[in-house]
Amino acid sequence: MKYFLYWGCSLEGSGANFLVSLKPPCEALGMEFLEIEDWNCCGASVSYAGAGDLAIKVLNARNLAIAEAEGGYDVVAPCSSCYIQMIKVNHEIKENPKLLDEVNACLSEGGLKYDGTLNVRHIQDVLYNDIGVDKIKERVVKPLTGLKVAGYVGCQSVRPYGEYDSVNKPVVQDRLLEALGAEAVPFPSKIKCCGSGIFLPEMDYCMVLVKNILEDALNHGAELISTVCPMCAMNLELYQGRINDKYGTDFDVPIVYLTQLMAVAFGMDMKKDAALNYNVIPPERVIRAAIG
Amino acid sequence: MENMVGYNPSFAEEVFQNVHSGDKIKMCMNCGVCAASCPLREHMDYPPRQIFSLIRAGKREMVLGSEAIMLCTSCYACVVKCPRSIPVIDIMHGLAHYALTKGYMPRVETARFGTEFWKQVYRLGRVDEKDLPRRVFFAGGFVEGIKKMLSFMDIGIKLMLHRRMKLLPERKIKGVKSLQKMLNKAEVLEKGGAVR
Ligand code: SF4
Ligand code: SF4
Repeated sequence: MKYFLYWGCSLEGSGANFLVSLKPPCEALGMEFLEIEDWNCCGASVSYAGAGDLAIKVLNARNLAIAEAEGGYDVVAPCSSCYIQMIKVNHEIKENPKLLDEVNACLSEGGLKYDGTLNVRHIQDVLYNDIGVDKIKERVVKPLTGLKVAGYVGCQSVRPYGEYDSVNKPVVQDRLLEALGAEAVPFPSKIKCCGSGIFLPEMDYCMVLVKNILEDALNHGAELISTVCPMCAMNLELYQGRINDKYGTDFDVPIVYLTQLMAVAFGMDMKKDAALNYNVIPPERVIRAAIG
Repeated sequence: MENMVGYNPSFAEEVFQNVHSGDKIKMCMNCGVCAASCPLREHMDYPPRQIFSLIRAGKREMVLGSEAIMLCTSCYACVVKCPRSIPVIDIMHGLAHYALTKGYMPRVETARFGTEFWKQVYRLGRVDEKDLPRRVFFAGGFVEGIKKMLSFMDIGIKLMLHRRMKLLPERKIKGVKSLQKMLNKAEVLEKGGAVR
């Protein structure tokens, strides 16, 4: 099955472990990824400070227009910010055809046109609905037996459209974790916000959000937290030291991408394929204990 | 100061005309569900519901100078919950954008972060994760910049050691000129214009 993989800016930097670990297990499941030629940034969730809404729409429509012209396969956006920015254009032009005209008036300045025919998909969506848990289970050679994982969904990978999962009680990530043999612990903070794109400039305010999420995961017995978003991964992992300093806690919880766990469960290389060495808080110990 | 400005009935009209999705405020029934959804509500001087009331009451200074409009984490909780399906997040972003075009700068760090982010997208077509914090830190002057830079060294080093920092500078996308033309056009067609 062919898809465009729109990995975006962070997956080339701070979210590199997501991109490295995404390709091998997904390709093993029969997915084939194409790159959108000369793609641009999606604008993430903070561009509104500098740009008007239409400019951000046009930014995303440029990528979609190129993908549409290059074959029109579904676009998979692993970063939740990229996902929401792209899917938002699609939703809004459906509700408001005038917007599509405006977007195209802008795109035509660069000789492009978007007809609005593409589907934008989340990586959890394609894994769950196109591949399916049965096929994933079949591929597992090192089940993560007994590994207690808090599946952290965050905000933008399901809200607001709920394309493939419930916006109030999402289950897809837990089902995928279970397919890998792990135990998805109950986790009430599953869809609480971590501070997202403004964590860095508003760190003093946002640290408590992350503290509450980490605490909730640990209180429910989690040994590690899985995520599908490079912002969540950054915010949850990198600042644990600072949070400990500020609140007198002693967090040292590994934060891994779902795809890293998948690569491990598929028996792939811990470094080359699962990119576990990219994690600042090492997850190897708990993972090895599970796969024996 | 704020109180002296007093009632300004044309402000609501100004918002309807110039702020993205601003006219949707008309449908708000003031239930407060959105205000309860904001992760940073405790730090908001006026949560979204109150912002919308203040707009209707014409309190221009209070709204455009409010910190709350820049404390939206883009969590979309309000959009899911609002009984009137009002795109609260879009209005908050629209207000922040509009306030910045009018020279207000509530939450300086976030405002700088967002505007520098956009400048980089415009200039390169991509975002350079190394370069962006540097520009944000130094936007407030050299000494402040060095201090902030040093306070984030530990995080930068961690990312670098774990291969999570692109070492080469981000290059412009090939079609950056044509992208800029598209964005310029969008700016012309947009309500309110862009911040430069
Ligand atoms: S939830 Fe909707 S209707 Fe209620 S106060 Fe907020 S914007 Fe208004
Ligand atoms: S998206 Fe923004 S306005 Fe809406 S609940 Fe989240 S923080 Fe509040």
